[in-house]
Amino acid sequence: MLRLHPYEYHRPRELEAALELLKEHAGDVMPIAGGTDLVPNMKHRLFAPGHLVALKGLPELHGIVERQGEIVLGAAESLSSLADHHLVRSHLPSLARAAGAIAHPMIRNQATLGGNICLDTRCTYYNQTFFWREALGFCLKKDGDVCHVVRGGTRCVAAHSADTPPILMALGAKVDTASPEGVRSVELDEFFIADGIWNTQRKPDEIVTRLRVPLPSPGLRTSYQKLRERRSVDFPLLSLALAVGLDGDDRVESIALVVAALGAKPRRIGGLETLAKGERLHDELIEEIARQAYRQSNPLDNIIVDIEWRRAMVPVFVRRAIREALARP
Amino acid sequence: MRCWERPLIEIIRLSVNGDSHEIGVPSHYTLLETLRYVLGLTGSKQGCDKGDCGACTVLLDGLPTLSCILPVQEAIGRQVTTIEGLADPDGPHALQDALDLTGGAQCGFCTPGILMSAAALLNVNSSPTRQEIREALSGNLCRCTGYTKIYEAVELAARALREQRPPAEVLRS
Amino acid sequence: MKLEDFRQKQAEKAASQEELRRALESEFQIIGRRLRRTDGLAKATGRAVYTDDISLPGMLHGKILRSPHPHARIVSIDVSAALELEGVHAIITGSDMPVPYGIIPWTRDEYPLCVDKVRHVGDGVAAVAAVDEESAERAIGLIDVEYEVLPYHLDPEAALEDPDTPIHEPRRPGENGNVSKHVHLEFGEVDRLLAESDVIVEGEYYFEGTTHTPIEPHCAIAHFDPGGKLTVWSATQVPHYLHRELARVLDIDVAKVRVVQPPVGGAFGGKSEPFDLEFCVAKLAMITGRPVKILYTREEVFYAHRGRHPMLMRYKTGASKDGRIEAVDARTILDGGGYSSFGLVTTYYSGQLITAPYQMQSYRFDSTRVYTNKPCCGPKRGHGSVQPRFAIEVQLDKIAESLQMDPIELRRRNLLGTDTRTVNEFRVISNGFPQCLEAVERASSWRDKYRKLPYGRGVGVAGSCYISGTNYPIYPNEMPQSAVQLQVDRSGRVAVFCGASEIGQGSDSMLAYIVSEELGVPIDYVRIQSADTDLTPVDLGAYSSRVTFMCGNACIDAARKIKRQVRDAVAEAWGCRPQHVALAGGWAFDRSDTERKLPISEAFNLAEAKFGALGSMGSYNTPKDIHGDYRGGTIGSSPAYSFTAHVAEVSVDPETGFVEVGKIWIAHDCGRALNPILVEGQMEGSAYMGFAEAIMEAHVFKDSGLHNAPSLLDYKIPTSLDTPELESLIIESLDPEGPYGAKEAGEGPLHPSIPAIANAIYDAVGVRMDRLPFTPPRVWAALRERGRLEAAGQLTPWKERSAISQLTAVGD
Repeated sequence: MLRLHPYEYHRPRELEAALELLKEHAGDVMPIAGGTDLVPNMKHRLFAPGHLVALKGLPELHGIVERQGEIVLGAAESLSSLADHHLVRSHLPSLARAAGAIAHPMIRNQATLGGNICLDTRCTYYNQTFFWREALGFCLKKDGDVCHVVRGGTRCVAAHSADTPPILMALGAKVDTASPEGVRSVELDEFFIADGIWNTQRKPDEIVTRLRVPLPSPGLRTSYQKLRERRSVDFPLLSLALAVGLDGDDRVESIALVVAALGAKPRRIGGLETLAKGERLHDELIEEIARQAYRQSNPLDNIIVDIEWRRAMVPVFVRRAIREALARP
Repeated sequence: MRCWERPLIEIIRLSVNGDSHEIGVPSHYTLLETLRYVLGLTGSKQGCDKGDCGACTVLLDGLPTLSCILPVQEAIGRQVTTIEGLADPDGPHALQDALDLTGGAQCGFCTPGILMSAAALLNVNSSPTRQEIREALSGNLCRCTGYTKIYEAVELAARALREQRPPAEVLRS
Repeated sequence: MKLEDFRQKQAEKAASQEELRRALESEFQIIGRRLRRTDGLAKATGRAVYTDDISLPGMLHGKILRSPHPHARIVSIDVSAALELEGVHAIITGSDMPVPYGIIPWTRDEYPLCVDKVRHVGDGVAAVAAVDEESAERAIGLIDVEYEVLPYHLDPEAALEDPDTPIHEPRRPGENGNVSKHVHLEFGEVDRLLAESDVIVEGEYYFEGTTHTPIEPHCAIAHFDPGGKLTVWSATQVPHYLHRELARVLDIDVAKVRVVQPPVGGAFGGKSEPFDLEFCVAKLAMITGRPVKILYTREEVFYAHRGRHPMLMRYKTGASKDGRIEAVDARTILDGGGYSSFGLVTTYYSGQLITAPYQMQSYRFDSTRVYTNKPCCGPKRGHGSVQPRFAIEVQLDKIAESLQMDPIELRRRNLLGTDTRTVNEFRVISNGFPQCLEAVERASSWRDKYRKLPYGRGVGVAGSCYISGTNYPIYPNEMPQSAVQLQVDRSGRVAVFCGASEIGQGSDSMLAYIVSEELGVPIDYVRIQSADTDLTPVDLGAYSSRVTFMCGNACIDAARKIKRQVRDAVAEAWGCRPQHVALAGGWAFDRSDTERKLPISEAFNLAEAKFGALGSMGSYNTPKDIHGDYRGGTIGSSPAYSFTAHVAEVSVDPETGFVEVGKIWIAHDCGRALNPILVEGQMEGSAYMGFAEAIMEAHVFKDSGLHNAPSLLDYKIPTSLDTPELESLIIESLDPEGPYGAKEAGEGPLHPSIPAIANAIYDAVGVRMDRLPFTPPRVWAALRERGRLEAAGQLTPWKERSAISQLTAVGD
């Protein structure tokens, strides 16, 4: 079987100690939470740190509470506890759906929200064994200098493949982090950067501690849509989240549409506010939103499924998302 | 490459199927490697190397968990239950008996993982629907059965447990 | 406990008077009942010991270094750095075992480790034995191989046209080294009948390669003792062939080689020939004097492959206006991958096995297997015939369409019948295909659905047949194909020794049922020792659906020899005729007076006293006059054929192209169902596997020759949420030569899944899916193309398709 490289596994009991360990072993250390992304990646020799700092035992990273107009989600909460939590289900149902649609039951028991936010980007030329990648001649993202997706490309386009960020972005979530330099909070939108090699602004010694989601206003309708080959296990081929705020007259007050699994970061579809604000979501408008999304979505061969089809599914899923959002109370 | 340096051996205490073991393990071992190659509990299987098939599923404090991608240290201080711990000394668990009765095991390699997922389901849901069973087993790949006889086994076991009767008796009635 | 007390206990467990009286009235006591397997509880409790569960004292761990190139000459191999690594005990390369092997004796074209050339990415080059897996892994990273990279071919048609890039040296000068096998056979006057046909349908079909994907990766352990005896434990489904090849390649006395097959965690044809790891553990054990284990990674399982051949199939089918199949003309290219494997047989099977369940007036096939620089293809469940079955059954659907005839009716008009010969001269005796068709038609409410469901939903039908074992062994010999040895203990326990391979299909259980039926012992008195070449008589292995038929017959043969002795002995003691003595329910009893009875163990004791130690050998060999005497006429012939029909119901999402297979009705003629649970398990598992190939599986490669997706995440096999509802309908057309009339059930039921789904998609949305798999992007593209033609007025919108009333009425 594929074996792991030797490492030392640290299980600090508090955040301070964790940060201390990250500092102490800087350059040769990685934080690990559920490990469902990192451990397979280590088996593929994509990472080989000499030290792992476990985050699941940190009390500061746990808890799901409502506080000061926000739902605060501990980064080390498992995806299944997120999907099942009454606060999430009642206030953020599309987040519960997104979390519940990740991988399969065991992965959801192990994987964490923070890990999902920090999920490494994925590519058919990257998520392979050392043998396979060496036979390929490696790639831009790891151990090599050639991109096999975009010939001659100099920027890695591995796909952001996490399920929770699109809906969290649509809901205006913020990420709280901690590092030896201190704590900070950034908009999730800004947290992601369009670089497939490392697609967040998280520094190697920085830990995601919490996600904070503003309590949705009563008129906010949301939807999460996931395209995948199998109904379980698989990463998304396309994921799409919608949050649309309606006034008492069913007119659009705000609209956010985020599409992911195409490039290195989730893409917020632009120009929709101008298009939709003050309008009712009638069929023609829905079609125009779908067209906008299609125009702004350009899948790449980073995932081994036909790109033309994946692109064509964008408007289909936009329509479904809007219909679902409108249908739900 | 530093990853090939000599592994560190860690002394840990693991609670597996109610037994507390103090063992030395290379610190980079997964729970599956520890169960199979250190403790000799070979019931949990290795199928895909990395969390894609569910054959290695064990219960960690009652929750189905992929032991093949779980660093062994994450099991410290928690109750690990493997397929070997599902049966009572006086006989097989209703799920094991029911699976035998319905023919839900063919090659038997996915079976331990399937049964651990099913056991976790029945612990929280005493009369699951067919759809709930399908969802609970959706991380456990079976290549032999087409799943049908596994569903029948879980349904039979659930009924046997509810009625506190042996599965064979339930099947006859 | 005293012996009498044991007897008392046994008597309490044995059948009651009432049960014995009932036993006299029924034909069978055990056969046909829904019983537990003999290994079910061991598997359900985690006690079954698979190969990787075995650990021997002092055992070393091996790893195989594999080629990163699809085609290259090995210039040199330097193992010196690796040998110096701490913990490394031995390293071997191709020159340590320079003996070609291959499952088919006429096409031995591979080496345990490559000798001169590598022919696909993942081809084995060197192997290491070290103290642990990590050290072995590290060592193979230190082996320095110099390659001369060669041009390579991934496309069989391109390889065929480029003999100047030979993947193998031509067998004779002037031949194309890239042709692995070519077969051309013609039966009847194909060209004339095609010319006279009222309707001709031409189609080009492509079957994408798929692989077995057993959940257990291959694993082998070898032990070499100082006396020169080699023992190999392996997750194989052919211990006998492995036994022979190990001795031949390693040049040791075949009598000093022992192959033991532990329970196998799935095989499906993927473990039916020797693999590099078995030779490597053996050689490394011989060199080091230590036990050596190699366990494949999942990635290596994909390189070992031997899965379904990709096939490009061009079919021309002619029919009369009343639906009679006049002529079938098939041209097929098989993509063989780097080596031969079973390819000679596959090439024949691609043509020979589609001549039932329909009568064809004439038939011609031309099949060419081509080498490519990819992992070697071989036999996967339904060897060689699943691909052409897809083509022919869709062809029939198209003919029915053009004749405006119900496709079930079309099939009924071409039934082959019983006690007959196929167009290629195979003898067919029992044939339950008409009942299969009827069963799926009824169960699926076909007449209410076909061409009547709303747009997006549809049903499709297909039929098939398959062999119950091949008529000839892989290496020519006149000896039995299967043998069983029984040995009876004074306690009543019966030990069964048999070379058959339990791979999950239930062959051990089958043997226990037969012994219990024949000798009247409870099933838990029967112990099965299978697949250990030191202890068990030869059975050729778990392939070609031969085990129940052949091994079952051998077991009946053995059991009846003992039964005769027991009845004789008891009859003598009672002073009655042996025919009056029955064995059932744990007793020997008098048929005319069920009160007169003996516990079965006492009956065995009487027999032992009269005849000496009780034991017997039974065997089975195939009849030899059941096929044509043309060259190749033996390949594909079988003592009996199973038959299957499926109806699949699908819904197609026209926006996304997703095909949801809601349900498959599977009717399978397995002769006598020895245990219906096991038969259903094979039917459901087969239909599942066919469904998987239809909808999602694709064993494909990147342009570089690298495997596209060598993992269980990226090579898609269905989860519980994807798999359709499966309903099994057992049809029993008793075969006079099968054990109690039984035929095969393990592979036949797979065949119709794929064309039934293809035909259902057509019924649902009007697109013909002639290329596998029917993934959403492909279905979506086909729908878009149809939409374009409909919009242009070149096709009638499928939403307005004709109702069944306009078709030829069923049963006309």
